[in-house]
Amino acid sequence: MARKPRREPGTLEREVLAAIAAAGRPLTPAETLAELGEPLAYTTVMTTLARLHDKGALTRAPAGRSYVYAPAANPDTLDAALTARQMSRLLGAGPHRAETLARFVADLRPEDEQLLADLLTTHRSDPDGDADPNGDADGENSTGSVEGGPQR
Amino acid sequence: MTTVAVVPFVASLLLAVGGGWLGRRLPPATATRLLTAACLVTALATGFILSVVAFTLLAPMPVLAAVGHWSATVVRGHDPLPATAGFLPAAVVAGLLAAALRRTIAVGRDLAAAELTCRRLGPAPTGLVIVDDDRPDAYTLPGLTGRIVVSTAMLRALPPDERRVLLAHEHSHLHHRHHAYTHLADLAAAANPLLRSPAAAVRLAVERWADEDAAAASGNRAVAVRALARAGLARARTVAMPSAALGAAHTDLAHRARALQQPPPKPQPVLTLILCALMVATAAAALDTSHATERRFEHAQAAFAHRT
Repeated sequence: MARKPRREPGTLEREVLAAIAAAGRPLTPAETLAELGEPLAYTTVMTTLARLHDKGALTRAPAGRSYVYAPAANPDTLDAALTARQMSRLLGAGPHRAETLARFVADLRPEDEQLLADLLTTHRSDPDGDADPNGDADGENSTGSVEGGPQR
Repeated sequence: MTTVAVVPFVASLLLAVGGGWLGRRLPPATATRLLTAACLVTALATGFILSVVAFTLLAPMPVLAAVGHWSATVVRGHDPLPATAGFLPAAVVAGLLAAALRRTIAVGRDLAAAELTCRRLGPAPTGLVIVDDDRPDAYTLPGLTGRIVVSTAMLRALPPDERRVLLAHEHSHLHHRHHAYTHLADLAAAANPLLRSPAAAVRLAVERWADEDAAAASGNRAVAVRALARAGLARARTVAMPSAALGAAHTDLAHRARALQQPPPKPQPVLTLILCALMVATAAAALDTSHATERRFEHAQAAFAHRT
């Protein structure tokens, strides 16, 4: 595998947070490493998890000889979702929508879905990208793609 | 009024026609910075020259001449137009200023709302806020510190390597303060409607900039294309689309995907130079007009003082 460019310390922390949130359940360091889907050193993941725990972004509970890590139980998680949704509606409305919010992908017209589906099928040559063998781009979008992570 | 004063309007027209093309042709970071600067310089120059034209035309009116202590005949010079013709550019300037002001207020309100939301979301040591929501969504919230907000549904929709692309894309927005460029370009477009197309080009260039950063972080451009497509599809499945105001999104996403399928963009020194020259010419024309007008009023005031 080609050497990746060096990343800033915060980048891996965000990726670890996202990986644990995507799993939807508390993860051990080994499971986190698998969920990251990247050839990282186990100790690197351990240190990152510990740092996130120190910063209060993750909580941990002892499990066997290790810990399992979960997103810090935000007392107002529901509130956060609501706040984000309200704000997103507020800023998304009006004549200048989607300018203050830099969305990863803007909303699509139905006819554009085909374009994206085609892109997915033409760009799935990656060795670890072929999770489902039936070659149907639609099938790939289910949550299955997360659970069937490349490294178990 | 000299012919030099026309330069900023020619520049506006050139940007209106070629802004979109330049935005796609230049490397995204260069396109963002240069087009934003060009929009600002051009908007300021056109606004300034329109005000000068209005004022110079209106100046011979007896009321203004008496207040300003200048000779009406000297200040009028060889202008063939009557003084009342000055009301037209004056009205245009007033309208554009009002539009720019409205826009500034709207942007300020949006930024305040974004900042307030950042606070309400609470401290996020990594800058990433994960929101428990079954609608796939991901965006960057500008603010003093700013936040990357991603819903759990979006995280689940993407495999790990594409998740990395998404996070790197949003981090690029936050890190390079992309919203400042789009807001400034939009402000310029409010003050000079000819600049709407280059302002839209800035919006696209900013997305391309973040895409290129994300592709570089991932080390694999094909993964970046897939992330874009899968996130788009995940959103399209669950979000009920309002039919209005989606025109640009389609071409933008198609362009972004196509650009990621190509090798990384190369610097375009010639185009960069042309755009810089356009900005310098526009600024110089505004300065020249300012000097010429100053001289004209000085003469008119001298003539007035001499007569009394």
